[in-house]
Amino acid sequence: MMGFRCDPPNTLTAQFDPAERQLLRELATQLIALLESAAAPADDPVLARLLPDAYPDDADASAEFRRFTSDGIVDRKVHNARALIASLPEPDGTASVVHLNPAAVSAWLRSLTDIRLATASRLGIVDDDDGMEFLNPTPSSDGLDPLRAIYYWLGSVQQSLVEALSQPSG
Amino acid sequence: MPLTLERPDTVEEVRLDAPWSTVVWNDPVNLMSYVVYVFRSYFGFSHAKAERLMLHVHNDGRATVATGSREEMERHVEAMHDYGLWATLEKARS
Repeated sequence: MMGFRCDPPNTLTAQFDPAERQLLRELATQLIALLESAAAPADDPVLARLLPDAYPDDADASAEFRRFTSDGIVDRKVHNARALIASLPEPDGTASVVHLNPAAVSAWLRSLTDIRLATASRLGIVDDDDGMEFLNPTPSSDGLDPLRAIYYWLGSVQQSLVEALSQPSG
Repeated sequence: MPLTLERPDTVEEVRLDAPWSTVVWNDPVNLMSYVVYVFRSYFGFSHAKAERLMLHVHNDGRATVATGSREEMERHVEAMHDYGLWATLEKARS
């Protein structure tokens, strides 16, 4: 991936090769499948992180909060993941540039976060220092576990998106 | 006659219940830059304030990002969960 850049007035663009597009499509599709499964947050650590307890010391209030909010949160997360997929050029097409308008940027940022949270949970990443190596790549990143390599890559995509957003436009 | 605005010295906000806080917790996944982006875009904080709060979260493990009615704080917590931030609510410490 070439990093995102601001393409005034209101678009961010980046190039993704076919394998990267396929990877994003697959990860977003897996996220949608998880969100649309009827699994309860209590039974799935990823869902527990995507829909955390709102009241850490009050199980009843947390359950009540979830009852009123989780459908909406899940719907919006699914919508964001679908928007991410929709903005990727067709897998077999020749176009490789992703163009994101502000609504798509917002969907990408949130969905990349959800996908990174899910991946980190699967990897068992619990420390601040665990998982930020992509910001300072070292030669020892060779031979990484593939899922961990994907996790770092997702972080660099998101970092590039946030940085492009804060560039002065025009 | 000069126009003077009435400005009572003590304004007591009437609250039906005790004030609540929205707390954002540190997590190992969310990028610092993204947390600043969320605080700026959702709460409308200045870059300086958003960065200060993000560093609070990062260094202290948590930060109170808003206080108000329970209903309002539940809306904020729901919005933070939309963004993927780990947020909870609790009674504000007086």
